[in-house]
Amino acid sequence: MFEIHPDKTFFHELQESLNQAEHLADWESFKLSFAASKFKSIPQFDGLLSLEHLPHVDFLEHQIEAAQKVIHEMNGRAILADEVGLGKTLEAGLILKELMIRGAAKKVLILTPASLVNQWIQELNEKFYIQAASPRKKQAAWQDWDITVTSIDMAKRQGHREEILSIPYDLIIIDEAHKLKNHQTKNYQFVQSLQKTYCLLLTATPIQNKLSDLFNLVSILKPGYLGNLTDFKKKYRNNKDDSKGVEHIHSLVSQLMIRNRRRDTGLNESKRKVVNERLSFTEEEQSWYNQLTSLKGEQNSFTWLTLAKEFCSSREACFMSLKEMVKKMDKEKAEHFIGLIEQLEQLPHHVKAKRMVELIEQEGGKFIVFTEYRATQFYLQWFLQQHGISSVPFSGKFNKSKRDWMKQLFRDKAQVLIATEAGGEGINLQFCHQMINYDLPWNPMRLEQRIGRIHRFGQDQDVKIYNFGIQNTIEDHIMNLLYEKIEMFRNAVGDLDLILEKLPGGSFDEHIKTIVRESESEGEVDIKLNNLVSYVEYSVNERRESS
Amino acid sequence: MSNHHFHFVKHFFATNGCTVLKESPSQLQVQLTNDMDEQIMNRPFYWHYMKKMNREGDPMQLTFTEDRSVDGIYLHAGTPKLHTLYRTAMKNGKTARLYEATSSKGALTPWLVINFFLHFRGKQTKNEHMSLGLNLVNGAFVHHMMDRLENFSFEQKVSDYTFPMTPIIQLSSAYKRIEGYVEQYAGTLNHDWARESHEQWQQEQDLLESFYSSGDLSEDYYKNEKEQLSKRYVPRIEMDVINGGLFYLSQNSNQGILQSGS
Repeated sequence: MFEIHPDKTFFHELQESLNQAEHLADWESFKLSFAASKFKSIPQFDGLLSLEHLPHVDFLEHQIEAAQKVIHEMNGRAILADEVGLGKTLEAGLILKELMIRGAAKKVLILTPASLVNQWIQELNEKFYIQAASPRKKQAAWQDWDITVTSIDMAKRQGHREEILSIPYDLIIIDEAHKLKNHQTKNYQFVQSLQKTYCLLLTATPIQNKLSDLFNLVSILKPGYLGNLTDFKKKYRNNKDDSKGVEHIHSLVSQLMIRNRRRDTGLNESKRKVVNERLSFTEEEQSWYNQLTSLKGEQNSFTWLTLAKEFCSSREACFMSLKEMVKKMDKEKAEHFIGLIEQLEQLPHHVKAKRMVELIEQEGGKFIVFTEYRATQFYLQWFLQQHGISSVPFSGKFNKSKRDWMKQLFRDKAQVLIATEAGGEGINLQFCHQMINYDLPWNPMRLEQRIGRIHRFGQDQDVKIYNFGIQNTIEDHIMNLLYEKIEMFRNAVGDLDLILEKLPGGSFDEHIKTIVRESESEGEVDIKLNNLVSYVEYSVNERRESS
Repeated sequence: MSNHHFHFVKHFFATNGCTVLKESPSQLQVQLTNDMDEQIMNRPFYWHYMKKMNREGDPMQLTFTEDRSVDGIYLHAGTPKLHTLYRTAMKNGKTARLYEATSSKGALTPWLVINFFLHFRGKQTKNEHMSLGLNLVNGAFVHHMMDRLENFSFEQKVSDYTFPMTPIIQLSSAYKRIEGYVEQYAGTLNHDWARESHEQWQQEQDLLESFYSSGDLSEDYYKNEKEQLSKRYVPRIEMDVINGGLFYLSQNSNQGILQSGS
């Protein structure tokens, strides 16, 4: 039924000591050693011993339950998929600590985006009394450290890769694991070839767009659990006729995944108020936008889409791209664009920037402004400064000390923090409760991640979110269809991502991009987006009826 | 100072020759010796420098508390410094050869005392703390040996008018007997945990096999996963020795222990 592994080293040690009396202990030391060993006692299979070790951390009920479930029911391999701000990192830390106490994890590797490496090390140390290291040298000694934290990019570099792959890790934790949704990427293959006994995948958006993302995450934990990808896709494509099949998959996945939602955890006390601000371009701006639209046929439409979005953000963002484009054009064509650039330079300050300043002056207090473009970030910082408003820039690409410094400056000195998308993950700014989404990402899930920076555990005020969009532009469509309607569905059913994941025929992002790219007119864009949203609405209703 | 962590800390410093400077209901302040400072304060460069400069060095003082609002090292099950003390104590008390301190005359009987954990590993884990004594003259086994020896005095030198008997059972065969005894003992326990773990192992192996045979899995990955499954689920009991040694007992004590336990 079981094997017995005797202790082979001790006898040898005893014999040596008996021959060299200076290594022998006196009676008090011997007794003390025996008393000390009791700290390693694990009196029972069940429960969490780690809680007693961490009295200074106030774990929430759902975090403790998650850790219990992962260790005792899921046997140490799981996807932790709580909504943003519910403390996935704490759950992972608790599981790690428990496995360490139970002697099941000694060698541990934590893979996280580079910008979060130091935050992990700090949290493990302060909250969990776990000493972790992040080897950086070209030839880092991965063998020498028991707990290491690093980025996938660092881990798969030459000089590290071979050594890491040769180590049999007891536990591997992967933060922001939704980045591993594609099984053909180098990162995915790297992760798959790691030796791991236990494994935790952390993501707030396990299913960003399609069910096959989830398939790939599950395959890291339990290959074969959902069958093979071809069959899986077949099943999933036919889900209209075979909703039982999909439900079956969902119930299978729930054996491997923990997903706490804000509304289930009693963390709803701080309310969220979302205001969609519709702004209008000035006449000059609108006419420039129209000119751009008329050029749509000449450029490939993806470029047009980029330019239009950029122009809705700032002249500066659009200017940079146009400049780059002109460099690659032949003379005749370039001339036309140079004219356009010259006009661009003459335009007044951006309508959104003006509205932003107005809002900040009117409401007072701290604001986080999110933009998708670095050029806009620079512009806004300058523009705020012109109005005597202090601001600091933020990007996830900053190194650890710079990020901490900026966060501290924002908390203690500056009124506004201007973040680019890369700053969206892993920074906690609960001391601020107002946010402007200066431009909107295609995917509503990404917006959710941004909001999660301030609407999270520890926020004691109601949160106010302003979404900016410009009428009669591409942004209008995004706001209209993707945000207002879908937000409405969210209120109706709560778990929007479960519905977005069921969209057949490609990712949500791709759906929208295809629509915009392949449509000949604004009208056609409208109709197609409407269809997409109707489909979502249909699924929402269907779901509501069935529940 | 009431909780058992405090009790351990006091015991630790007393054993290691450190003086208590102050003791109040909520605090314990200790003056470390040079040797203790070197062992538990993790400042090797300081001590390296002091030795090189031929200087005395200035060992630190530590304050422990069980009240979170008071200055000092807050003591609870997870306190990192407490764990340093545990590890230090375990390292310093691993092996022994001890003779009972007695005023009576005569022969001392040798015992092999082994303290250990049995780690039960599989789907879930737990362990059992054990202390076994083996009489090296007549081969008798005694459980809870440390509890029985608790109030005896032992010295590293043999007392006047006493002499240690030569073991009849050789040390190496005695240790083998202990292993054999553990095996036999493990056999008498409830095996539900092992059965459950085994079933889970079978199930997951079947899943992996069927997936592998459908051709969607590379051989390397398959082998790796298979090995990981056995690491996670194959039920096993690991013996992990805490400490052990030779104990020589007076005839009186020897008889007492033999009669009290088996």
